[in-house]
Amino acid sequence: MADFSWNTQSPLQRALVAGHHGVPALQAGVVLTEVRNIVLVQVMARRGKAADTAKAAKKLFGIEPPNSPKAAFGKSATLVWSGPDQFTVFAPRADEASQLDAMSKAFAGSASLSEQSDGRCLIRMTGPRARDAIAKFSSLDLHGDVFPVGTAANTSVDHTAVNLWREADGADGQAVYAMLVFTSFADSLWHTIVDSSLEYGVDTSSTRAA
Amino acid sequence: MSGYSQTEPLGRTATMEGNTNARGNAAAATQSHRLRSGGLIDRKAPLEFSFDGKSMTGFAGDTLASALIANGVKLVARSFKYHRPRGIITAGSEEPSALVEMRTGARKEPNTRATTQELYDGLIAQSQNRWPSLRRDFLSINQLFSPIFVAGFYYKTFMWPAKFWEAIYEPLIRRAAGLGKSAELPDPDHYDKAWAHCDVLVVGAGPAGLSAALAAGRAGSRVILVEEDSRLGGRLLSDGGEIDGMHAEEWVRRTTDELASLPNVRMMVRTALFGVYDGGVYAALERVNDHVPVPGPHQVRQRLWRIVAKRSVVTAGAIERPIVFPGNDRPGVMMASAVRTYVNRFAAMPGRKVALFTNNDDGWRTVEAIQQAGGDITAVIDPRGKVPAEYQAVAELSDLRVLSGGVSDVKGGVDGVRGVVVTDSNGRTQQIEADCLAVSGGWNPNVGLSCFHRGKPVWRDDIAAFIPGEAPNGMVMAGAARGEFSLGACLRDGHAAGAAAAAQCGASGNAGEASEAGDEVYAISPLWQVKAKGKAFVDFQHDVTASDVTLAQREGFESVEHLKRYTTLGMATDQGKTSNITGLAIMAEATGRSIPQTGTTIYRPPYSPVAIGALAGHHRDENFHAWRLTPSHHWAAARGAVFVDTGLWKRAQWYPQPGEKDWLESVTREVLAVRNGVGFCDVTTLGKVDVRGADAGTFLDRVYINAFSSLAVGKARYGLMLREDGIVMDDGTTSRLAEDHYFLTTTTAKAGPVMAHLEFCRQVLWPELDVQLSSASDQWAQFSIAGPNTRKLLQALVDPSEDMSNEGFPFMGAREVKLRGGVTARLFRISFSGEIAFEISVPARYGAAMAENLMIAGKPFGVTPYGTEALGVMRIEKGHVAGPELNGTTTADDLGLGKMMSKKKDFIGRVMAGREALTAPDRQVVVGIKPLDAKRRLRSGAHVVPRGAIPGPDTDQGYVTSVCYSPMLQQWIGLGLVERGRERSGEIVRIHDPLRNEDYEAEICNPVFYDPEGVRQRG
Amino acid sequence: MRIACPFCGERENGEFTYLGDASPKRPNFAADGGESPECVEDAFHDYVYLRDNVAGVMREYWYHGGGCRSWLIAERNTVTHEFKSVTAAPGVGASRPVQAGE
Repeated sequence: MADFSWNTQSPLQRALVAGHHGVPALQAGVVLTEVRNIVLVQVMARRGKAADTAKAAKKLFGIEPPNSPKAAFGKSATLVWSGPDQFTVFAPRADEASQLDAMSKAFAGSASLSEQSDGRCLIRMTGPRARDAIAKFSSLDLHGDVFPVGTAANTSVDHTAVNLWREADGADGQAVYAMLVFTSFADSLWHTIVDSSLEYGVDTSSTRAA
Repeated sequence: MSGYSQTEPLGRTATMEGNTNARGNAAAATQSHRLRSGGLIDRKAPLEFSFDGKSMTGFAGDTLASALIANGVKLVARSFKYHRPRGIITAGSEEPSALVEMRTGARKEPNTRATTQELYDGLIAQSQNRWPSLRRDFLSINQLFSPIFVAGFYYKTFMWPAKFWEAIYEPLIRRAAGLGKSAELPDPDHYDKAWAHCDVLVVGAGPAGLSAALAAGRAGSRVILVEEDSRLGGRLLSDGGEIDGMHAEEWVRRTTDELASLPNVRMMVRTALFGVYDGGVYAALERVNDHVPVPGPHQVRQRLWRIVAKRSVVTAGAIERPIVFPGNDRPGVMMASAVRTYVNRFAAMPGRKVALFTNNDDGWRTVEAIQQAGGDITAVIDPRGKVPAEYQAVAELSDLRVLSGGVSDVKGGVDGVRGVVVTDSNGRTQQIEADCLAVSGGWNPNVGLSCFHRGKPVWRDDIAAFIPGEAPNGMVMAGAARGEFSLGACLRDGHAAGAAAAAQCGASGNAGEASEAGDEVYAISPLWQVKAKGKAFVDFQHDVTASDVTLAQREGFESVEHLKRYTTLGMATDQGKTSNITGLAIMAEATGRSIPQTGTTIYRPPYSPVAIGALAGHHRDENFHAWRLTPSHHWAAARGAVFVDTGLWKRAQWYPQPGEKDWLESVTREVLAVRNGVGFCDVTTLGKVDVRGADAGTFLDRVYINAFSSLAVGKARYGLMLREDGIVMDDGTTSRLAEDHYFLTTTTAKAGPVMAHLEFCRQVLWPELDVQLSSASDQWAQFSIAGPNTRKLLQALVDPSEDMSNEGFPFMGAREVKLRGGVTARLFRISFSGEIAFEISVPARYGAAMAENLMIAGKPFGVTPYGTEALGVMRIEKGHVAGPELNGTTTADDLGLGKMMSKKKDFIGRVMAGREALTAPDRQVVVGIKPLDAKRRLRSGAHVVPRGAIPGPDTDQGYVTSVCYSPMLQQWIGLGLVERGRERSGEIVRIHDPLRNEDYEAEICNPVFYDPEGVRQRG
Repeated sequence: MRIACPFCGERENGEFTYLGDASPKRPNFAADGGESPECVEDAFHDYVYLRDNVAGVMREYWYHGGGCRSWLIAERNTVTHEFKSVTAAPGVGASRPVQAGE
């Protein structure tokens, strides 16, 4: 019997219609991008092993994992705080099996891993009005003094959990926010985010993680 | 971010535009009462509008009220109970009288205050509560019957017979007494909600608020300044004055410019703060597009703001209060401050011959305003009997007629005031000519926001008003809102409060100096009421008169809270802003108590009306709540699946095929396809939890009633969890994937609560255990594959190296398998349907492909996708319990699962499950129920009573929990919870369904209707 | 209402769920040590049902489920809704408590 084809499908298969939406504008107030092809692993330190876990992370990624709501940017991965003594590893998907294998080995004995590459959908939001749009669905204070580059937060949007962090500013100097939303909620939250952005004009697209 | 309006110079000139104006300005043609120059209106921007179908014009910058005044309109409304002709009383959000119906069709909005509605081109407004017209209102005969409309009228009159209330009395009363009618079409506009954060929130942008915002902004704190008006400036826009040696309007402009230049200051106009909540959370309504006919594309009509502020400075000013005297509701009787606003800010003359009735110095400002606008002050009635020092020169210069005493009647008709009757202290009366009566009973500081946390305002004798008591944490009041009435004091007070608030937030910049202005004297001699014959109104919106208040007192309703409810004083949409204090002052006099002894009613949000649409924001229609989709959702939708909401999830309920006449036919086909061949169903919605760590097994032993530490790697087991009180919480299968890794599943409904419970156990109850939990619900797309051909289908799907034989993959096996094409899946041999069945999980990205590949792999065996209905039918046929049985009242034994309870270990709920009542032999337990008449449709919710018994609470023995049409038994069957049910197999009982008026007999039987030996699922 | 999560900082109360009084301790029941459930029934009854209705400061469990999923113990004034303190449950994260149980 022939092999089956295993096409992958994004949870935003229908919701994401690439292009400009809302108020026509020369420069969109909000730029919304789904970041595909990601590896996500939740790393949870075992009892009494927080220090060992941090050491293992340092060895594997070359950076200290955050021990407060922050994101640490390494060469091969971003480590995002996701709770006390736990963080989420975000990396572009290359050779997924060996990426996961390397982590399993590195954290053996110090931390439990939970693979979430398919459990979350990564949405990147930027543009001059991004903060105004986010204010419609998030109760976080994203003022630059309070939420500088590298800040992270576990929060709720529409009563569901979202991990949000601020990446390095874009080439245009605008703040860039990354949001991890649950896969099953992605379609719904994408609508909420787009609806919140329509009055500023929003450009939507998807991209592969790099 | 909202813009702000630049102020224009206040100008005054002595002539009014006439109907025959020399310049032939068409725009001004209807504006008989418009001053020729001055005011903060843009005469180059004329606006057309209509009121009750009559076309008029106004100017940009007008409110509907000021435009009506400019057009000489005095009669704008009919009152709530008596249908009395009413006019415009105030110039602000406190307006109790000039309520109109705005717009038409789906955008129709009743009870809009004309005084806050900004004029726009094409505005359409209608008067309310009148028929057939405002001038000839049929129901004004209510006035003739007014004795029966007194306080407590409804309570006394419509008592009997009780059943008449809903059918007859209430609709009649609502038609006769009431205000506007709401639109009956869905609101086509959008509303949304947003969060804002700041250090210092300043509420109100009058002199105190602007000073506070400037001080806090200069000091470097993050400031939000909200102002309900479309312009900043507050009373400065109406009363002018001199600040720092410049005209007030110039000061407002400079201050506004400086605030705009500060990046840490955000100014929000048309934004009314209406609520104060715990922990420094405030709610405000921004009327984003109420001042245009229709919001632009993708624009919202209104936005509800939740503002989180470390400190707030409330500079909400004060509200001028009326004096109660007969005829005080006649159109043309207006607050003195409102008269000045219309004249100075809007260049609209409320009258040409104005009488002024004031008991305080501030009211006297009106004299100059009218005189400078070219009007006549026909008399000033001041019960204090003498001209205040500050105004003596003006009085002498214009030979002002000053009378002591009070206004005892107002003459006029529907078109308003024609004269004012004044009675002096000796009882002598005289009539004064006037077409407008300006009234000032003094000023009430706007204490409301300070009282939303039950703070009690404090009485101050010298200003005869309540000032704020203890404000909510983090809030200070400043300026007129705390009884500082002079302009100089407002500027100083606001500045000090703003600077202090900024410093408390850690701002260290220089707040600068307070602006300076004079400290005019505010002397007042309290006067609440002029007692004379005739209707004298306290609450204009609810038509509550002074005699209603005294009647309430005579009938024993002396407490202000009783007064409020008995007379409805202060209960209208204006929340008594102009009436509450006056009402309680009259009550105080009637009872011989002081005003502070009488006290105020409790203040509650919202301060001003908020549309339900704004509270809902984005969350209406399809966005009422968030939704969750499984990875095969679009695949199922393309096959015509009918979806059902299960919590937030959308689940395929069944897949109709062409020619099927109803859902039952589709569901029956799906069941038979599974039982006779093979089918699959998306079960992704089950909660999934990764349980890891060295102590994962011990942890699960304590969470479940049965053992999991003994479960072999590669095996699955059904588990049941109790609550600590011994009642069943949830169930599901949990598999051991590695020594230190279990994969736990929950029901769809309980995924969230179970996760919270597990975290509680881990973090609070047993922190010594090495366990880590993470939700894997969304990581995996999971399908149940069931039916005798399941193994054949799987053999086509999995890699040939996988042993799929009964021995190689036994019942309750759980392990990873490789699929053809290179994807790895988790496979669990568990069955909910009673057939050979597996659940297969792949990473969510492959969910849609998996559905398609199951169709391909199963095609030779007639594979059929099935929905939750068929799933439900098969579980009932197999007697498996689900939500209707795990209903928060049942024990493990009630469900027939008592034997699973371990006796060797402690687990959540173990001890309490052993209580007498939870182990009593007469408990209702799960049974099967089969109607004797095979054609009879069984209904869930029907009661079970013994055969021959009369149904009632004493004979009730349980009820039907789940029903289905069983294609295998070819009749309706059900599960139920029935007293001593297991002992009663074979007994005939009576099924009584009073809701559907059904009564029939059924047999109690084994809940496992189909394949009770379980041969099929193990085969 | 705002609640200061010791890990996430001050957050909107919608991110939290309330469980109730944090004072009752779950009784120890060693079934494998030969203890019968009846011996501890009274203790469990108190643990499950007995609660004081405090007008004032109370220790209570809050779950930051819409955030970092930590169970928290808050001292809250039930009259004013003011929080005096918010601390982590003994077993949050990977912390290893000195003494079992809370």
